[in-house]
Amino acid sequence: MDPRRFLFVTAQGTLLPVMAPPWLEVLDDTVRACAAHRRPDLVERLSARRSRLLDPKLRMVVIGESGQGKSQLINALLNAPVCAVGDDRTTVVPAVIEHAETPTATVVTGGRLAIEGAARTPIAVEAVTTEANREARSVTGVPVVRTEIGLPRALLAGGLAIVDTPAVAALETVEEMSADAVLMATDATTDLSASELRLLEQVARLCPTIIVALTKIDLVPGWRGVAERLRARLAEDGLLATVLPVSATLRLAAARTGDKSLNEESGFGELIRFLHKDLLGQADLLARRSVAVLTGLTVESLVGPLQEEFAETQQSENDETVARWHNEGRRLERLQRDAARWQTLLSDEVADLLSDVEFDLRDRTRRILVEVDDYFDAADPARAWPEFEDWLRENLTVVAETNSEWLLDRFEWVARKMGRQVSPHRPDAVPETLPREVPTDAVGELKMPRVEKFGVGQKLFVGMRGSYSGLLMFGLATTIAGLPLINPISLGAGAAFGAKSVFEERGNRLKRRQATAKNAAHRYVDDFFLTYGKHSKDTARQIHRALRDRLTGVADELRGEITESAKTLKRIIDTDAAQRNARAHEIRRAIEELALLQQRAQSVGGVRARPALRGLTA
Amino acid sequence: MNLALRTRRMLEQALDAYQDSPRAIGWLRRHLDRFSDPLRLAVVGAKQTGKSTMVSAIAGQELAGDGDGMRWFRVAPSRSQGELTLIDTPAIDADAAPGTVEGICMEADAVLFLVRHPENADLGFLHTLQDHPIARASAVNSVVVLSRADELGAGRVDALISARQIARRYRREPELQGLCQDVVPVAGLLASAGRTLRPDEFEALVDLARVPRAELEPYLMSTDRFLSQDAGKRALLLERFGMFGVRLAVTLIRRGAQTQPALAAQLIPRSGLAELRDTIDQYFTERQAVLKARSALLGLEVVLRMEPHPAAAALAGELERTLASAHEFRELRLLADLRTGRVALSPELNAEAVRLVGGNGAGIAERLGSDGADIERTIFDAMQRWRSLAETAGFSTGERRAAAVVLRSCEAMAAGAL
Repeated sequence: MDPRRFLFVTAQGTLLPVMAPPWLEVLDDTVRACAAHRRPDLVERLSARRSRLLDPKLRMVVIGESGQGKSQLINALLNAPVCAVGDDRTTVVPAVIEHAETPTATVVTGGRLAIEGAARTPIAVEAVTTEANREARSVTGVPVVRTEIGLPRALLAGGLAIVDTPAVAALETVEEMSADAVLMATDATTDLSASELRLLEQVARLCPTIIVALTKIDLVPGWRGVAERLRARLAEDGLLATVLPVSATLRLAAARTGDKSLNEESGFGELIRFLHKDLLGQADLLARRSVAVLTGLTVESLVGPLQEEFAETQQSENDETVARWHNEGRRLERLQRDAARWQTLLSDEVADLLSDVEFDLRDRTRRILVEVDDYFDAADPARAWPEFEDWLRENLTVVAETNSEWLLDRFEWVARKMGRQVSPHRPDAVPETLPREVPTDAVGELKMPRVEKFGVGQKLFVGMRGSYSGLLMFGLATTIAGLPLINPISLGAGAAFGAKSVFEERGNRLKRRQATAKNAAHRYVDDFFLTYGKHSKDTARQIHRALRDRLTGVADELRGEITESAKTLKRIIDTDAAQRNARAHEIRRAIEELALLQQRAQSVGGVRARPALRGLTA
Repeated sequence: MNLALRTRRMLEQALDAYQDSPRAIGWLRRHLDRFSDPLRLAVVGAKQTGKSTMVSAIAGQELAGDGDGMRWFRVAPSRSQGELTLIDTPAIDADAAPGTVEGICMEADAVLFLVRHPENADLGFLHTLQDHPIARASAVNSVVVLSRADELGAGRVDALISARQIARRYRREPELQGLCQDVVPVAGLLASAGRTLRPDEFEALVDLARVPRAELEPYLMSTDRFLSQDAGKRALLLERFGMFGVRLAVTLIRRGAQTQPALAAQLIPRSGLAELRDTIDQYFTERQAVLKARSALLGLEVVLRMEPHPAAAALAGELERTLASAHEFRELRLLADLRTGRVALSPELNAEAVRLVGGNGAGIAERLGSDGADIERTIFDAMQRWRSLAETAGFSTGERRAAAVVLRSCEAMAAGAL
């Protein structure tokens, strides 16, 4: 039973399914695998091949380089001049030769446009290929697709179709015709050339059943050596091909004369026996081999991208994310290390600042006091006090303002410096300016010191007292001279003494007033120093505290941000890794499945095991 | 001043300029010596293209020895010509020694490139040969030989006729046009056997021919059959003549070539060797001076490029000028185009053009086809005719260009530059 006919027609005309041959199962699985891997192109190709394989006809494509005698080989094989032969480039279009009860021939032409479709022209058998080649060469004619020839031959009746190909389109024809077997012609005048070997290797990937016909052996005395070398060469390259030496000249001569022994000498007897026994008789084996190769090829083309993708999943793609994650960790660490450091730094800065500010304050007030002393050495507080009071008040206000301004400036500078330390990327970490309010109550009320007035009564009294002693001193002295106690001299002296007393008294009183005023001013400035100093220190402490809190807040915020970002990154990395792992697992499973498919195909084809698919660990 | 003289003078100037470089001096001196040597013709090809056989055939003697490198033979291929230096080269395949191709390009003045079948041949070597800027400007030194022409016709007696048809088609292929001057078919084995036919071989062939045709015919069908009798002697015959050669020789003897020289004289034209020799004469030997100048210029260019020297700066300019203006190279190209039919002029014009550009001989008398007294008159007429042809509107570009080259040759004759 032909294993390809797996539908059995019963006597009643119904179709009974018979067990499908194993190769068909493998092929269908391959098609499914292609569909699963979203390769519609492969599916389409395999489906075409599938229908060809189910077709009981065996297609043998004859290939070979130019001038190797392909067409002559076919003619000799069929004993009929069906293919045009010549010494120069002859065959231009493929010719398909099949069995027919009577000789028929058609030239199949394609329309200029795809839509026009194929047209067929019947023509005499002997002239058909010559005609087709001529038409194909002409530029103006209709494009010739192929010629189809039918011949009544026992060889063909067994289901063989022979395809003659132009040298340049060997590979395309093998693929297009879904060749079940390939007959390669190479002439015995030289060894197999590198390009022929390359062609064979390419063909072997498409069609595993290859016969090499060593042609023109009638011309070459050493053809046996050539054949040996050819077999060795093919074995060396791992090509499973049968080498059959033939001579078309001898075969045609034998056909003319009916010489049986000459026919055997030509090698064609052997070739025809081979075709009958090993091709037509082994249709199932050929199909299995074809499927094995086909599946192998398909699996390879499916596995290639998968392996690439697998390699990709193995090397972590988001290196950048991981690097960023590590970076965030490092930033956090640095932040914590820095926190203690900048706290100390801030305290140091503030201590420096306070001492500087205090010194400044002391210096300024001291200078004011010096000036006050100088001033009151000359001025009379009784008269100049209001003016002095204004001056002092004004000066102290200026001192307070300047000092406080400086304090705040320094603080702002410290704040900026710390801000840069704590978070260089956040200019808003510390406020740009601090509230500037000068403590107004520091310069308190200055009370006029109590100054004794030197009134007219007092002057009179002091004058009287002085004039009394003078009057008495000079009155007594003049009494000795006999003058009355009260005489002009004593009166004059009295007046003079009185005036002197008043004058002296006035000077003493001024000195006393000045000392009092100085004292009052000193005390006042001291008060100011105390009050303002306290106030200033309080302010500084408050600002210091606020700054510290603010900076700690910023650092905390920063830490929070970094932690959050690190968490997000970690999540991304984890998700990605999970996806990759899942994908890698999927790919591994797919590759394993494909490898299994390939193994099945190999066992079905009975071909020697190809090197197993490269393992993923390799 | 013609090209050869100019080239020689440039080489001498280069020798002066490079006095301080022993390497350059050695190189230049070698090229100067080579200038007066016979033309060097390299026989090049892939494996099994019959290089050694072809060398033997051209030399007319069996040249023994099988070496790895290039083998040099000084021969006189025919009585009419001077000597040639033939170079048998190693096969150029994918596994050839690395310097082989460069060596051939540098050493040979002209090249016969052997291929078995033009369709399957690797023309890479010809491309390399013309890859040099100077060489490209003057691709005039190569001929493709279909060296196993008998096999192209499956060893039939008429094989060479179909080989000629193939050659005719290939010499007009655009790819080959720029690469070689001509494509010639030669049945190499037959040619070498014909040139070196030995009495004992002749005797053996005569013995064969004596056997009645009907009786002999089955034995000539295949080598196996042929060797089934008298194997030792016949194997030698096959080795020397090939199946094609034996069939042809037997046929020729039967048709009346009864003596050894008569058979040889018949074999040689049928092998295509005569045509090859004519081709060598026309394209290479007769133009020896130009080809030698070309090789020398290539050599000089190598020195100027590899060792630039201030004293040689003017020389480089001169070299360029010479190459750009060398009319001799253009004449050679045109000659090849006219002979191979790549430029299609009418037969009379074609013949005249071939003659005027020196196809029948480079002297003025040969060019004009007359040694009559009124040479100037003849030249003047030719100039007028070809000037008008160069401006004919009905001509294709190629034809007009050809006419312009012929005109230039006439002008050179008038100026006495040839």
